[in-house]
Amino acid sequence: MNELPSEPLVEVKDLRVEFDVRAGIVKAVDGLNMTIHRGKTLGVIGESGCGKSMTARAILNMIPKPGKITNGKILYHRRVQNNGHGQLDDNVELTQLDPDGKIIREIRGGEIGMIFQEPMSSLTPVYTAGTHINEAVSLHHLTPVRKVGDQLAEQVMAHKAVTKEEAREIAIAMLRRVGIPKPTERVDNYPHQLSGGQRQRVMIAIALSCEPAMLIADEPTTALDVSIEAQILDIMRELQNSVNMAIMFITHNLGVIASMAEEIVVMYMGKAVEQAKVVELFKDAKHPYTQALLRSIPKLGEKKEGNRLASISGMTPDPFNLPTGCVFHPRCPMFMPGKCDKIKPKWTKVGEDHWVSCLLYEEV
Amino acid sequence: MAVVEQSQPQSVLAPSPKKQQISQSYWSLVWWKFKRNRVAVLGGALLLLSYITFVLIPEFVAPYGLQHTSAYVEAPPTKLHFVDAQGKFHLQPFVYGMEQKLDFKTRSRTYVEDTTKIYPVGLFVKGDAYKLFGLIPMDRHLYGVDQVANPDSIVLLMGSDALGRDWFTRVLYGGRLSLVIGLIGQILTLFFGMVLGVMSGFYGGTTDQVIQRTTEFISAIPNIPLFMALASAIPGYWPPLTVYFMLTIILSFVNWGGLARQVRGMILSLREREYVLAAQSAGASNSRLMFRHLLPGTMSHVIVIATLAIPSMILAETALSWLGLGIRPPLTSWGTLLQDAATVRAIHNTPWELWTVPFILLTILAYNMLGDGLRDALDPYAR
Repeated sequence: MNELPSEPLVEVKDLRVEFDVRAGIVKAVDGLNMTIHRGKTLGVIGESGCGKSMTARAILNMIPKPGKITNGKILYHRRVQNNGHGQLDDNVELTQLDPDGKIIREIRGGEIGMIFQEPMSSLTPVYTAGTHINEAVSLHHLTPVRKVGDQLAEQVMAHKAVTKEEAREIAIAMLRRVGIPKPTERVDNYPHQLSGGQRQRVMIAIALSCEPAMLIADEPTTALDVSIEAQILDIMRELQNSVNMAIMFITHNLGVIASMAEEIVVMYMGKAVEQAKVVELFKDAKHPYTQALLRSIPKLGEKKEGNRLASISGMTPDPFNLPTGCVFHPRCPMFMPGKCDKIKPKWTKVGEDHWVSCLLYEEV
Repeated sequence: MAVVEQSQPQSVLAPSPKKQQISQSYWSLVWWKFKRNRVAVLGGALLLLSYITFVLIPEFVAPYGLQHTSAYVEAPPTKLHFVDAQGKFHLQPFVYGMEQKLDFKTRSRTYVEDTTKIYPVGLFVKGDAYKLFGLIPMDRHLYGVDQVANPDSIVLLMGSDALGRDWFTRVLYGGRLSLVIGLIGQILTLFFGMVLGVMSGFYGGTTDQVIQRTTEFISAIPNIPLFMALASAIPGYWPPLTVYFMLTIILSFVNWGGLARQVRGMILSLREREYVLAAQSAGASNSRLMFRHLLPGTMSHVIVIATLAIPSMILAETALSWLGLGIRPPLTSWGTLLQDAATVRAIHNTPWELWTVPFILLTILAYNMLGDGLRDALDPYAR
């Protein structure tokens, strides 16, 4: 990768998302900090229900009904075109925006795209693939087939309405770009006529049609089989390089994250427990939860008779009664009685770009 | 054997263009299944025919104009003859002239055929002038007796009323208002029902509560008294056509609730689908989500409800007009025609005025047949 100084794009600061349901308050995200850098990939891993998807939806200000962002900031360093005189930087606090307002709708899709876990149900069944792509394009008044460096043309195109034929050409070009075979035919296909992999490619084409500064990929390959998964990941990497896009890659698949991300955040029960560069995390995981996660994947070449794959003991805690102190302590193999169940761990630096929240690395 | 072997590679090399389609679109599946349902196709064809004859071109089909009165008051249907009194066969059907006789004892009118006067009944004959579609001036009618050559003659397929008007002509014109009120009323109902239903389901909360409670309130009032109250609120001095449109609005106002509830129920389940979230994350606004992404998902259901609900609209109009609260003369609808025929005297003296009933029955039946067929067809995967 290029060694440009990393520039923050989205900064999540002490984010809290709470769901006020009848049985009590669920803290879906509980004081999360993370930074996504321009053009870089940040991986977010954790087991189901740990708040990964909620974080993603909080960035787009799309928290579903009983949920609320109760605390924290999401700073988005927006780069707007300044009437042909270069670019202006503008900081937007995403949590303060009206969730159905004009600004957030411009950002959604236009500047921060998102793709979802279930390609089977992510496309409106009554519209063709082409219609979907054109909708995204027309919502943001952009034509995506811009030439790099052609600033003037970009300005002209930015508010031009496209004709039906042009729109169709754009859709076909996008489908070709994400590697769909026979794009001229597929553009008129309805979602039920496409396979899962093709649908996910269409989703990617939609997200990329407006050349967003950031792509949130919420478990984009979980529902696909392994060979399709590799193709989708290749396409994402390729497109990331061509348009210098940041990716927030949410998954629970450690193998996928190792090949995609530069930096990884490990989440547990709405909190970040560890953050490190990808190589460091896989080589030298500090938090017992990360270590347990890594032990739970099979390794090639380590053949020992009779050895079972390790699993993390215990269950995820009841979200209404979170354990005191460190939330992981009831399941932790390194549990220190009297400490872990009393004191909340702090976000501590343990190395170059390596942070962990565990009492093992704190002086208490 | 050689022939078989030759034909096989050919079919592989040159597949028919139809076979290139990998899978069929939803609507072609629907059409395919609908076509196989003979009863539904019959219903659809009947409706198409009745909308063309009653709504588009009743002026042409009817032998006379709506205001064409004659001296033949309360005359029974005239008979079409092929063989005359001398036993001669005519290729073109004809009617005899009619002579009116008054029985002074019973004070009733009787008509006897005057076999000396023969009026041939032809197709595309000249008669009352009218404007087709309100634009094209014409004076030809589908059938009838040439009124220029034989001004005395009359052909009454379904008899005449107390003013000597051809009853069939009146049924044709009456069908126009009755069929159109069902259609316009249903379109208005669809509009209110879908907009309010989708908003209720999508926003939930207070919006939902207000809309649902209003629906419940309206549906809790018995229909006929509510119709009567609303219809009597229409000022009597309004022109009949305005009254007609007010009636349409009243009918749809009472009917939207049921549709709104069904749409709401469907939206409640559809809005949890991931494609709504996907569209939102692509920057779609709430109204776009509601009307472009959610509403189309309810369409197959709505179409069926609408088709099955139009008959009740037509019947409601008929019932109101029959009660004298709906459409009033001089406008002619099936309801006002029924009102004319609804006395014991009319049933005894002019039973042919009940010819309106089979038309209403057939229309309602055709709608139900079509609606049932659509319901089966719109779910093409169901067995």
